[in-house]
Amino acid sequence: MKIICIIPAANEEEKIGEVIDEVKKFVDEVAVVDDGSTDSTAEVAVQHKATLLKHLVNRGQGAALETGNTYALMNGADIIIHFDADGQFLAEEIPDMVKPIIEDGYEVVLGSRFLGKESNMPLSKKYIIIPLARLINFLFFNVRLTDPQSGFRALSRGAAGKIKIELSDYAHCSEVLGKIFKFKLKFKEVPITVIYTKFGRNFRGGINIIRDLILGKLIK
Amino acid sequence: MSQQLIALAIILFFLGRLFWQKRKKQVAANEFIFWLIFWLTAAIAVFFIKTIDKFFASLGFSSPSINILFYLATIVLFYLILRLRIRLEKVERNLTTIVKEIALTNKK
Repeated sequence: MKIICIIPAANEEEKIGEVIDEVKKFVDEVAVVDDGSTDSTAEVAVQHKATLLKHLVNRGQGAALETGNTYALMNGADIIIHFDADGQFLAEEIPDMVKPIIEDGYEVVLGSRFLGKESNMPLSKKYIIIPLARLINFLFFNVRLTDPQSGFRALSRGAAGKIKIELSDYAHCSEVLGKIFKFKLKFKEVPITVIYTKFGRNFRGGINIIRDLILGKLIK
Repeated sequence: MSQQLIALAIILFFLGRLFWQKRKKQVAANEFIFWLIFWLTAAIAVFFIKTIDKFFASLGFSSPSINILFYLATIVLFYLILRLRIRLEKVERNLTTIVKEIALTNKK
């Protein structure tokens, strides 16, 4: 069972080395997709023995994950993990994400910040941004989940082959969920811990996600 | 009457500019035809503004036809902006495909 972890990274030189070292303990290979960083993210990733896939220009987190998925599928991954580069997620929770795929035949496992584990989530995010995201996902994709914007997920090989991420930026979270429902993939949410080191997406980021979702619908 | 003359002069200016761009090969054939039809339609609308006024009045519109032309122009502009955004998004996706291919080819 080959597990490849994809870490999209843009200007994360400070954290990426530590994250790679932690994640490596739980997977067979770590592939960092350097998304047009202007700092030494790529060099640090290579020093820490991660596979480096370099985007020459910044294309957004969704595009970086799609590059990573393609690489992992080409290199025989049975399970693909999506993990953030900024140290928000705990690598020791990777086995919890993988277990439902191996033991219970789930195709997708989504990390949720709202299933019991403690997170130091900012209140504005907890009570405004996330509820709005839930509403948007319901309106656009008829998706109901506890955590619609989580970037920590595990995909079986079959699921990764079906879910082609087309929205380049943060709207990919909603797109992935929409495709899980569209392809009727067997999925499960598992509790995860998130350590907030910086605020993350702001309100403008949320507006951009809605814009990208509308454009994505119009292009098809 | 003087307003019509000013509008026609402006249209003539843009038509002249369009032909000049065509001669300098700064505009593609399709685009040239689009703008030619656009400006000629505008010229005809300005020239026959009174007839258009009567036509719209017969349809039950109370405001002068120039207002309706403005509304139509605004709608057309919004549509063109939307088309531009969609085209831009497609270009962005093509760029992403190229960047992805380069990343996979030059893996370290």
